[in-house]
Amino acid sequence: MLELFLRFLVVGATAFGGGGTALPLVERITVAETAWLTPQQFAVGVGFAYATPGPILILAAFVGFHVAGLAGALTATVGVFAVPVLLAAGSAGVVARLNRYARFRAFGRFAAAAAVGLLAVTLVALAHPVYELHPALLAGAAVVFAADRFGLSPVLLLVIAAGLGASVGATA
Amino acid sequence: MSAKVGPSLPTLAWVLLRLGAVAFGGLGATLALLQRQLVDRRGWLQERDISEALAITKALPGSTGIQVVAYLGCRLRGWPGALVAATAFIAPAAALMIVAAAATLALPSQPWVTGALIGVQIGVVGLLAASMWRLARSEAKGRMLTAVLLAGCVLGFFVPALVVVVGAGLIGALTAVERGDA
Repeated sequence: MLELFLRFLVVGATAFGGGGTALPLVERITVAETAWLTPQQFAVGVGFAYATPGPILILAAFVGFHVAGLAGALTATVGVFAVPVLLAAGSAGVVARLNRYARFRAFGRFAAAAAVGLLAVTLVALAHPVYELHPALLAGAAVVFAADRFGLSPVLLLVIAAGLGASVGATA
Repeated sequence: MSAKVGPSLPTLAWVLLRLGAVAFGGLGATLALLQRQLVDRRGWLQERDISEALAITKALPGSTGIQVVAYLGCRLRGWPGALVAATAFIAPAAALMIVAAAATLALPSQPWVTGALIGVQIGVVGLLAASMWRLARSEAKGRMLTAVLLAGCVLGFFVPALVVVVGAGLIGALTAVERGDA
């Protein structure tokens, strides 16, 4: 439980560029390093995180629940948002002054750019099991990508994807 | 300090709880919601407070949406306001995720369930690619940051994620000083 809290504390404290950029780190700690989740469970969790309102990193609640039930969900959620929320609330004073320094802002900008690059690793980790099932299924992912770029709601897209999957599964 | 007539903590909690339940669609949509509710409808804050909150929290690590909420909560009611606002804002999503996690653990292993989960898996790959695209366009401003992003792409496969992020940040901090614009 302490490990759960500390690991998500680190995720929150290093998520430069917003919550979405921290997915690689969450994938690393929940799938690769601890096997708290299977790759498929992780993908489903990310799906729900996109579909629910609020920040992507609410994924922590999903992971926490899988690890240690309700208490785990609350622990991971508090952990992942603790540092960001405290920093933001405190920024009226100290951090706002810190923010005037180009050095501090440059740290944030560079860290955020690198974190976006890291998303490639998560993308590969999530695409690999799909590819293993059948390479052609990645065409479906490409369609979702295009539909999202056209402005369709991610919730709608996930519901359609789940529905299509269910009907194919039921008839196969 | 714009809000001399700040709301009471329970009112703040109630308003943020309802915002948290409908804050679909990422940061842009969340900011629009906050502005409509807190600035236009209730007059607790000014437009300027929100852009200032965004400018500061963008540079901090963590989910920006909830940070803007915490910052504004602090503006309205000090530290208690920040904690109440952030907790209320995140509560609906946390509850939904707990239900979702419990539901996926309790799912029967029927062919249609497996199919639906594979469907979600495929959808998530597409959504993540789209999200990466959006983030890359907003973060990779200029040649230097584009290079950092691409380096992150490659290094991520060999080096721990944390090292890549903090390392890139340090490089940024050091080069900013060399250019003398600190």
